[in-house]
Amino acid sequence: MTPSTLLRALPRPPAPDALPPLLAAMVGRLPSRPPSMAFAAAANALAWPALRELDWSIARDRRFHVRVRDLGLSLYFGVRADGFYAVAGGRADVTFTASAADFARLALRLEDPDTLFFNRRLLIEGDTDLGLAVKNLLDGVELEVAAATLPAGLGRVLLRLRRLALETGAA
Amino acid sequence: MRLSLGPLLYYWSREDTLAFYRDALTWPVDIIHLGETVCSRRHLLRQADWLELAEAVAAAGRQAVLSTQALIESESDLKALRKLIGWAAQWREDGHPALLVEANEWGAARLLARAGVAFVAGPTLNVYNPDTLALLADMGARRWVPPVEMPRDMLMAMRASPAWPAGMQTELFAYGRLPLAYSARCFTARHYNLQKDDCQFRCLDHPDGLTLATREGEDFLALNGIQTQSARVMSLAHRCDELRAAGVDILRLSPQSRHGARVVAAFRALLDGTLTPAQAHDRLTRLMPAAPCDGYWLGDAGMAWLARTVAHDLTPTPEELTP
Amino acid sequence: MTRPLLELICPAGSLPALKAAVDHGADGIYLGLKDNTNARNFSGLNFDTKTLAEGIRYAHAKGAKVLMALNTYPQPATLARWHAAIDTAAASGIDAAILADPGLMAYAVRHHPQLRLHLSVQGSATSYEAIEFYRERFGIQRAVLPRVLSLAQVENVITHTDVEIELFGFGGLCVMVEGRCLLSSYACGDSPNTFGACSPGHAVRWQQTPEGMETRLNGVLIDRYADHEKAGYPTLCKGRFAVGGETYYALEEPTSLNSLELLPDMARLGVAAIKIEGRQRSPAYVAQVTQVWRAAIDAVKRDAGRFKPHPAWMSALDKVSEGSMHTLGAYYRPWK
Repeated sequence: MTPSTLLRALPRPPAPDALPPLLAAMVGRLPSRPPSMAFAAAANALAWPALRELDWSIARDRRFHVRVRDLGLSLYFGVRADGFYAVAGGRADVTFTASAADFARLALRLEDPDTLFFNRRLLIEGDTDLGLAVKNLLDGVELEVAAATLPAGLGRVLLRLRRLALETGAA
Repeated sequence: MRLSLGPLLYYWSREDTLAFYRDALTWPVDIIHLGETVCSRRHLLRQADWLELAEAVAAAGRQAVLSTQALIESESDLKALRKLIGWAAQWREDGHPALLVEANEWGAARLLARAGVAFVAGPTLNVYNPDTLALLADMGARRWVPPVEMPRDMLMAMRASPAWPAGMQTELFAYGRLPLAYSARCFTARHYNLQKDDCQFRCLDHPDGLTLATREGEDFLALNGIQTQSARVMSLAHRCDELRAAGVDILRLSPQSRHGARVVAAFRALLDGTLTPAQAHDRLTRLMPAAPCDGYWLGDAGMAWLARTVAHDLTPTPEELTP
Repeated sequence: MTRPLLELICPAGSLPALKAAVDHGADGIYLGLKDNTNARNFSGLNFDTKTLAEGIRYAHAKGAKVLMALNTYPQPATLARWHAAIDTAAASGIDAAILADPGLMAYAVRHHPQLRLHLSVQGSATSYEAIEFYRERFGIQRAVLPRVLSLAQVENVITHTDVEIELFGFGGLCVMVEGRCLLSSYACGDSPNTFGACSPGHAVRWQQTPEGMETRLNGVLIDRYADHEKAGYPTLCKGRFAVGGETYYALEEPTSLNSLELLPDMARLGVAAIKIEGRQRSPAYVAQVTQVWRAAIDAVKRDAGRFKPHPAWMSALDKVSEGSMHTLGAYYRPWK
């Protein structure tokens, strides 16, 4: 898949809740294991190398809930010194709710969380301070450094994708 | 401890204002603040009127303090300020005793220092540490009013600091709706869909401010023109012993439209020992325009009511515990 | 020495935000340390000595200045923290420290006389008499004005002082005089002056309810938003309240300041610098806003007479604005 087709999979506002075909396809291929475990495993494989240096002490024994509104997907996990781990669903210290596309845009730094919040596309419930702390922690990661830790050229693809999104105004 | 009547924060009719001060001259207070501190559009009393009142206050054996505007925006604001300071300097040269000016922003402090007029460092100068207070003492401040949010522990730490300026008097905001914020905007005019410059002086209709409630019906703030106040009435009468222990010299009582004499009487009786703190507080709750609060004093949310945590031999009445 | 004109000063709450600002054309970046010595004391935000050093290196290599905000009010029990922060600032090679407290300025002048000082907006100086106080006593070289003066009043200030004047150009709008607002501590105990944050995260709760999304500060209901309504920051000044039987934004709507169209006037008045608000925001915001303001300031400097705000600039700025709306704030009056 070329970056430009990936790019088209990122919908532009104001249709944040439209199901992005790419993500729908991905969800369709998720293993039957609970999605939280799949997420933790994927996050450990792809994202953790870029995040392991951060000070995760604020997250000790805290339970995060990421709710992907349009996919009806709820991911429950924790973070500790050796990476992400799935936890039982139902109870969390902080819950982030947004569409799949908006989470993707946040991850690619195409969008500012406050902007999404003003537009009611991002909701943080529970321990606000924990939510902001994690947001600020992730903002401290340099995208180029993070991309370099991704396997097999995926980082280059992501950066190119981001650049294209910025150039075409999809941001 | 002495009692001071703080500057009138509201806008009352000329008759009501003059009547208030005529009465206040007979009240058992030691210090009376005069002057407009909130809004330059409030003109029913001119500076000459305030100066005349200052003479009456002095003649009644009280100390007069001319208080100044907290928010200076225009050249005419500055002109008024310079004129007032000029009067204060003249007053001193004429041999009158003990007229102070309260500086509520640093421009006023600078002008007072230049004129060599002793002054009160007002609550909006944001003095949170002894170094800044020492600087003000050098400039001629004889008294200071801590920011209304300053807790007891911070006040005590300031007094314990080697940098604490000797002889500095501490005047604490001890009773009244708390002045919390200042804006270029007028929220009273806004409520009436009026431009600030054509406000029709609607503040006149709200002699204790215009109460603002949350969408759940909880009284929260009070709008007073460009100033935002607490809806609740800060009251520290029940903490009288703590105030004394913290080195507070003067209790500031902020004017309200009704029961002024009785509020002052309750505090006077408290200081004279004829009312216990609990009794004084019990009396005050019946005179307040709204429920009490005391949270700032213990470093909590200002709106909190923490009377239960009074740490010594008070015997709080049931009324005291349920505002 | 030529006086600066319309320097673009951009916010950074993290190293990536600083780099975004530098890369998109900021003349200066302002930042703070990870504690309550500055007025954006939010969890996880701001710089430690390592990121500070790298940020300064990066900015200086590309010709940008770094300013450090130490603009809260030192308190007696923890005075050493502010003094240490000044020492850190001076040792780090920053280009200026932005201070609000006169006592702290005295310390800076005594121990680091070479350190350039700016007066923070938290110093609440709205008159040239106040600004001159800080200049005479501490030699401040620039003052950031509270967002409460009209352009005519700004002009009067500039006419009467040699101190450079910095104005807020864009971002979250304090409707109250900065440094003179205790609404946050009245509700939750922490104020910008002492804690370094208005509505700190630990006191804020957002909750989706059947009636809408509720925003609370220490239990006080700030507002409740229907599904289609834009939300604002969880600050009390942007909430909806009931006054005299009417429920409305009693103090201020959730809007951002955007003074871009006034740039030619600001150039004419000799405004030294334009400040962009938003250290609490992400690198994406910093990049977007810096880019627009760089282009606009360059256009004004080329030909102020023909300057017109590009519609694309305005829509890019509106998009990241609180409430997705903007106002000229106090610069243009009358306003309601």
